Amino acid sequence: MSNATLERTSDLSTRRLAGIAALVAAAVFVLWGLVAPASTPGRILRVMFTKSALSATLRLSVPIAFAALGGIFAEKSGVINIGLEGLLIISAFTGVYATDVTGDIWLGLLIGVVSSVLLAALFAVVCIEFRADQIIAGLAVWLIALGLAPFASQVIYGGPNTASVETFNTITIPGLAGIPFFGALFDASPMVYLMFVATVASWYTLNRTSFGRWVIASGENPKALDTAGVDVTRVRYAAVLISGLLAGIGGAALSLSLGQFVGNGQTMVNGKGFIAIVAYLFGNYNPVGALLSTFLFAGLDALQLRLQAAAIIAVPQSLVRTIPYVAVIVVLALFGKTRLPEAAGEHYESGEDR
Amino acid sequence: MSAGDWRDRGRSALERLVRASAFERVLISTAALVLSMFVGVLIILAAGRMTTCTTAATTFFGVGFCYDPFAIYDSLFLGALGDPINPLFKPLQGEFAAPFRRGWTPLNSQMAVTLRETTILIFTGLGVAIAFRAGIFNIGMQGQLVVGALATALTVLWTSSLVSGLVGTLVLIPFGLAVGALAGGLFGAIPGALKAYADANEVITTIMLNFVATSVALFLVANPFKDPESPANETVGLPDFATIPSVLYEPRDNFSIIALGIALALVGASYYLLEHTSFGYDIRTSGIQPEAAEYGGVDAARTIVSSMTLSGAIGGVGGAMYVLMILGNYQTGVPSYGFDGITVSILAGNNPLGVGFAALLFGVLKSGSIIVDVSTDVPPQLVGVLRGLIILFVAMPEFFRMIGAKFVIESDEGQAVATDGGVVEDNGGGSDE
Amino acid sequence: MEPAVHLDGITKRFPGVVANDDVDLLVERGSVHALLGENGAGKTTLMNVLYGLYEPTEGDVYVDGDGLADGDDSPHRYAQPPKRFDSPADAIDAGVGMIHQHFMLVDPMSVTENITLGNEPRKWGGLAVDSARSRDEVVDLCDRYGFDVDPDAAIEDVSVGVQQRVEILKALYRGADILILDEPTAVLTPQEVEDLFAVFEELTAQGKTIIFISHKLGEAMHAADDITVLRDGKNVGTVAADDVTREQLAEMMVGREVLETVDKPPVERGESVLTVDHVSATDERGVEAVSDVSFTVHEGEVFGIAGVDGNGQSELIEAITGLRKPTAGSVAFQRDDITNWPRQRRIDEGMAYIPEDRHERGLVMDFDLTENGLLGSQHTPPFAESGRIEWDRARTHAQDIIDEYDVRPPNRDAKASSFSGGNQQKFIVGREFERDPSLVVATHPTRGVDIGSTEFIHDRLLDLRSNGKAVLLVSSKLEEVQGLSDRLAVMHDGEIMDVVDPETVTEEEIGLLMAGEQLPEDSAARSLTEAGDRSVAAGGESQ
Repeated sequence: MSNATLERTSDLSTRRLAGIAALVAAAVFVLWGLVAPASTPGRILRVMFTKSALSATLRLSVPIAFAALGGIFAEKSGVINIGLEGLLIISAFTGVYATDVTGDIWLGLLIGVVSSVLLAALFAVVCIEFRADQIIAGLAVWLIALGLAPFASQVIYGGPNTASVETFNTITIPGLAGIPFFGALFDASPMVYLMFVATVASWYTLNRTSFGRWVIASGENPKALDTAGVDVTRVRYAAVLISGLLAGIGGAALSLSLGQFVGNGQTMVNGKGFIAIVAYLFGNYNPVGALLSTFLFAGLDALQLRLQAAAIIAVPQSLVRTIPYVAVIVVLALFGKTRLPEAAGEHYESGEDR
Repeated sequence: MSAGDWRDRGRSALERLVRASAFERVLISTAALVLSMFVGVLIILAAGRMTTCTTAATTFFGVGFCYDPFAIYDSLFLGALGDPINPLFKPLQGEFAAPFRRGWTPLNSQMAVTLRETTILIFTGLGVAIAFRAGIFNIGMQGQLVVGALATALTVLWTSSLVSGLVGTLVLIPFGLAVGALAGGLFGAIPGALKAYADANEVITTIMLNFVATSVALFLVANPFKDPESPANETVGLPDFATIPSVLYEPRDNFSIIALGIALALVGASYYLLEHTSFGYDIRTSGIQPEAAEYGGVDAARTIVSSMTLSGAIGGVGGAMYVLMILGNYQTGVPSYGFDGITVSILAGNNPLGVGFAALLFGVLKSGSIIVDVSTDVPPQLVGVLRGLIILFVAMPEFFRMIGAKFVIESDEGQAVATDGGVVEDNGGGSDE
Repeated sequence: MEPAVHLDGITKRFPGVVANDDVDLLVERGSVHALLGENGAGKTTLMNVLYGLYEPTEGDVYVDGDGLADGDDSPHRYAQPPKRFDSPADAIDAGVGMIHQHFMLVDPMSVTENITLGNEPRKWGGLAVDSARSRDEVVDLCDRYGFDVDPDAAIEDVSVGVQQRVEILKALYRGADILILDEPTAVLTPQEVEDLFAVFEELTAQGKTIIFISHKLGEAMHAADDITVLRDGKNVGTVAADDVTREQLAEMMVGREVLETVDKPPVERGESVLTVDHVSATDERGVEAVSDVSFTVHEGEVFGIAGVDGNGQSELIEAITGLRKPTAGSVAFQRDDITNWPRQRRIDEGMAYIPEDRHERGLVMDFDLTENGLLGSQHTPPFAESGRIEWDRARTHAQDIIDEYDVRPPNRDAKASSFSGGNQQKFIVGREFERDPSLVVATHPTRGVDIGSTEFIHDRLLDLRSNGKAVLLVSSKLEEVQGLSDRLAVMHDGEIMDVVDPETVTEEEIGLLMAGEQLPEDSAARSLTEAGDRSVAAGGESQ
């Protein structure tokens, strides 16, 4: 099943209209806030445009953005990787554990990434070699990680949460860090910088290199790529491994910025992998678009915490958390269909499949 | 009879085995199960090397391990049944005593836990299976269960002041189940309608709706409907007459054989629905070949919405059962019955009859994990890992087919053409031109 | 003769099927070679072997001008060992390029990107695609072979003819000397076909060798130098196009005298059954595919629609049968306006439909025949009573179809997917005819079906006509529509160009209409656009 009878054709004009409407609404809101600083919009603006709000947004964005970038590669190549959540979980745990064992946070990051790549490789083999349904296999990846990470933590640390380890030091660029609001961009964890680098690099790879073209062709018309003499299987393997690599950085960065892996319930990852899927769908598979929608979701989360603290609007956190999810559903309902790559979700067998 | 003859027979038997589809399903599920258990052994051993202990629980190849996988599987599977085996019964060593332990009864409280988990999983498994058969991947079962549970808890709580006693039980239980079905059904209808009329992919919308359901339920139970006496996020408890009475088992076991009976009846009903009704034909046709279904006059949109509604309603009843039988109120932190329902359904090959068995297996695993937690040092999350592995292996039938095919030597070389001299065509493929 | 390709004793087996049986093929350098045969004759399989997509079960592939130069057919005399193509990449390296029937193009990418895919010129040590250089190379290539193609256009925006040219350029870009084209004319209008054949001449003039697969005699004789005919996976013979007649070729293809005459008894034309009134419809992309089409089909009449595939026939038929909503106009069936009726109601009221794609629509491939026989009647008594399916009756019904329509299942309870194409089609035809319909909509009813089954299906369609039923027939086989129809409409670009008398119209005139042009003033063909202009349909023999 899940032949991923996913939707073609996007209604660009309605989508553009919606975008314009959103911009207008935002502009009205900002104007109102500027004209009347004492009004609710004015006070929200004041909280919104603080350095700490931006810096929180960036921090919250890191795992989502990396996972989203990874998801783009996999799905563009025709493999829907719904297991991003699992990749984040496994690398979040392994990153902390390896840091604890080796005492080196960078080595910890590396080993965390390796664990995620290995899990992604398992996923790739299962989907590509053994033709598993991608959705089911992705679900399995998530569930395996969701069980394995707390299990390992329990075995090693005697509880679902690990011991505390060191965290990344912030890199502060003197001078620039002092700028109001935007200063947060220059006073951040190395992972934040890496997130920007990875976004640009992903965009470049997809749009300017041969490999990027092969990835796109593999997702749109694998047979075209195959007959052009490029091994579709290898391209898909590479793309899925890249998704493991990127999601791995995201997961390890998440736990190592806190210095601990929290394994209760849905673990500290808590749906970020799924938000990442939403983010790249919103961003229409464009790495930059995915980063921007990540900022939107993470910013909403960061803002909500601050509004709560400043007692401006008392919307319970549990309801604010639903905003991205509801937003996705509304957008899908109104403007339907993101145009998935033509062959996404389909197994490709070259040669003698009769 | 010559040796070659025997080999041929064996081969054709194997061949049938590899090809036969219904039987193949069972085989693949069993193989997946066995393989997951085997990987589980490796994980337990590895975990046993990573932890420290004074004396090794078991030794393999001269290496000591802190955990003995067989002891753990023993507590997992037999513990879930209340330890039925007589320790003196060792048929492998040639010692035949009475097989069952003295004093063991199938009505023990651990058995009750196993069966009550099984009951809920039958509901979620059936719900997922019906959507699956219609070609819809209902990952939103968890959300539908939560909504059904919450709606049941709140409405029954609200109406329980109007009636009481035996009459209350007879009125409120069916009422509560109906409310659960209605709420779960409506919540399931949302992604169904979105898919049918707005072409929104159900995998994405149902995942999103799970988060929405859990968050909104948390809000409601933490704020307007919170039990002021309780530190946890939960509602006030239902009166005793508003919960499903337990028969045969102790009331404190929170299991009612009646609920299991309802679940099993639903298994039969679902099977009948799919195989013997026009609506079932519509569902199955839309599931495997939507274009053909449309050609055959099936209203695609209506079938999607109605099967998702049905799926959600069954999950909602599961949620209602969870509240009325197990909890006696609604509290946050609902176990992942919905996700386990996906596993159950996949393991059962989306066949309602298989769901019964798969649900029992997962009931055993869930119940056994409690025993594992209490009686060994191995973390109960092991069961979560096994769950993931089972899904993974069931998802790759090709793997098992390849292994099966290794034993079936290519015997069909050169046996040409179909009866009319035409070329046999494969599934959607078309002939070579 | 200097051979460019020598296939020596190629046998290709698939599980249960021998697709190629000891086939030899010798193709001369710089020539156009047609590979002719009916559907299922093994043409595409043979070419897939040459292109490295399939590995031959037996036999050798030689592709090497120098090694083959001796002109001796004996493989042991070649200077080079046979080629082993494990993948298309190997074949490409050896100078073999293939243009598949379904184009292997990536829709959202540009022409240049598609042509260079897999061989992108790079810069900065391979870190980037050199877009400027690839564009230049593509422009050069177009100039050299006289192709008029915009290198920057996206594939999804250009016509099918241009897409085919991009495919040819793709092969040339990879240095192909031998071009294989699989059914290149199937998707083209007659004018585009002529353009393609002009391209063939340009290419062979520059030393390229062309092999094209076809099942149409006429174009093989017209465009090829040599013709090799395949039948049932075997090579029947290779002939020079100038030394052979159509009749000889036809006999080689089917293995017996072809009797294309259909005995069509005169039938009294009755009431109108289906009236299509100014109907327009769009395709999946929302582009208008059917524009303002009107016609009427009467009792006792076969109304044919001819045209190149993809000119709106599918969309028109789907609008009539209820699988697609028309954007304008109305459809009337018997006495009712059915424009907004759901599909099920159309079935119930007596509209039978043989769909063009039996794998996608006509049969549920995973169901057995009992279940498939129920498709469309699953809610209808006697097969369903108050929502419950009467499986016993369904089983009897399926058995009746099997007996009546000569369906030969591999075994009882076999899934539809294990049937041959002909048997699948006969079962569908049987199921639809057994509905006792007042209208049968038959689209490509004999596509991919062997000759015996084809004649059977034709006879049954004419039986219906004799019984006063209405038949709407769509086919891309000209002989079929022309031979069976009482009136023949020709579609081009979503419009009906004209409705003509199939007996008086010539094949050339139909070609004109299919290409979107009008009949000349002095045409002898009678135009029958006005419905009801004759009370008796044409009878007698027709070719």
